[in-house]
Amino acid sequence: MLILGCFLVLLALICINVPIAIALAISAIVGLLATEGPGSLVTVALDMYDGSTKFSLIAIPMFVLAGALMNAGGVTDRLINFVSALIGFVRGGLAMVNIGVSLFFAEISGSAVADVAALGSVLIPQMKKRGYSAPFAAAVTSSSASLAIIIPPSIPMIVYATSANTSVEQLFVAGVVPGLLGAAGLMLVAYWFAVRYNLPVEEAFNVARLRSTFIDALPAFTLPFIILGGIFGGWVTATEAAGLAVIAALLVGLYYREFDVRHLKRAMLDGGMQTAVVMLLVAASVLMGGFLTRAQVPQQIAQSILDLTTNQYLILLILNIFFLVIGFFLHSVAAIILVIPIVLPLIQAANIDPVHFGLVVTLNLAIGQQTPPVASVLITSCAVARANIWDVSKINIYFVAVLLVVLMLCTYVPAIPMFLVEYFYR
Amino acid sequence: MIATLRNTIEWLLEWFLILLMVMLTIIVIVAVLFRIAGDSLSWYDEVAAINLSWITYYGAALAALKRGHIGFDTVLLALPLRARMLALIIAEIAVIGFFVIMAYTGWKVLQVLGGDYLVSLTWVPVRFTQSVIPIGAVLFIICELLSLPDYWRMTARGKSIEHAEIEEEVESELKKAGAR
Repeated sequence: MLILGCFLVLLALICINVPIAIALAISAIVGLLATEGPGSLVTVALDMYDGSTKFSLIAIPMFVLAGALMNAGGVTDRLINFVSALIGFVRGGLAMVNIGVSLFFAEISGSAVADVAALGSVLIPQMKKRGYSAPFAAAVTSSSASLAIIIPPSIPMIVYATSANTSVEQLFVAGVVPGLLGAAGLMLVAYWFAVRYNLPVEEAFNVARLRSTFIDALPAFTLPFIILGGIFGGWVTATEAAGLAVIAALLVGLYYREFDVRHLKRAMLDGGMQTAVVMLLVAASVLMGGFLTRAQVPQQIAQSILDLTTNQYLILLILNIFFLVIGFFLHSVAAIILVIPIVLPLIQAANIDPVHFGLVVTLNLAIGQQTPPVASVLITSCAVARANIWDVSKINIYFVAVLLVVLMLCTYVPAIPMFLVEYFYR
Repeated sequence: MIATLRNTIEWLLEWFLILLMVMLTIIVIVAVLFRIAGDSLSWYDEVAAINLSWITYYGAALAALKRGHIGFDTVLLALPLRARMLALIIAEIAVIGFFVIMAYTGWKVLQVLGGDYLVSLTWVPVRFTQSVIPIGAVLFIICELLSLPDYWRMTARGKSIEHAEIEEEVESELKKAGAR
């Protein structure tokens, strides 16, 4: 009864646009007051402080900063040139380039919205000039940027790993194969559209041009190399890799000589504010988590679902549907912070690997970024393309379908995301 | 008057946040290099975590000034005007009420902490590091109030701040791309 009350308070506050972090904290306070009295309020200060000092989350500002620095440092154009030389000869070349560059970009930055704004503003106008429809250009950009959140480094993955108390390095590794699989799927759909609408080829394949664009983009490739190589090899932790990525991004920017002080200042500020927004959510979830655990809520929910079924696959199906629905209304990080602490005991009781589940959740929320009303990535793409969100969604359905297929594959064939994890870590 | 105050606070918070980010970056990088060299820094974990906490609350206040926290405005903006503005007032009272509680309890905690010092750096009082809770809460309230007039106007016109921000970001990126 009390829990239902807290939940209703939370829902009401979210509906009147109280920031989700604060709505979460207020409903925790309501619960605390009702069960433990005003004397317990001192935990507000203690938990809000504890929650903001989670060491593993230091990776977030570092990755955001590295991405912002790369963005400001002239990497975008060089990556686009290289990927154009690599796959621009295919029919619908610019769409392929868009998907390919998103993959590379995902290796660098943790923020899909910033990537869409940066990449989309270069590629979408080019696509429109070459005869692609604006909604199609927006749909390709949006879906490929969303796929990027399952490719390391990924802020939702870092937040998940902290919430679920599992290894962020293993989760990063688990994202690689599904990410590539998803990109291949998106490219197939784009190709189908390209043939159907007779979209143009960009340039003939030319080894010399491939070589020169590769050399020009080479410094930029040090980043994925450091991040993936360092983590796969077990040489560095995710946080350390993030620190090294910042150094590399600085060096690359200096090498290309495209930095100016204004860009650096903006990168630092964006990184700091994005971190603060995520961290406030994390801190509030520590406050709520403490209250829920003392009230034994997650255990009770786990038990009531386990009374219905103990079948892993059925439980995963229920959770998938739940996350898909939540993805319509919540940003990915907010969804993770709200839901993971509640479903974690269920995951453990059903013997589901927390790394596998983390990948499933992240992929699920990538789809959530494509579904209005809350769909920051889709909305950004539409704004860049100057296209109506419903026209874009009509085409985007095909790309979202690909992501759904990948989600189902990863959910029910755990080996797809997990075999690299098994190989490197277990 | 309010505009000047707003701009001054924004300027101060921006540069303080940049300073904190630079510090954290340097700490993380130095710590990685020391560990790779086989000589881990004893104070790294504790100090970096405190730095993160300061980024959280000073950054959160700045984000409040720019109304950048993650929320869900679809329902609010769909309400009829009168109900919408009433809901907005309730929401603002709720937010400020929460930070009043956080400031008050945070201040109480500081008094209890009295003579405690950090584990790794024994000359730094915990009172200093945890001062971020009451100070951050008060700053958040100030920033929330300073940004209220703009938010009020946007909401009255039925405009979403998040969409407006995306538009702005897109405009600046498109300009950058066009300049190349």
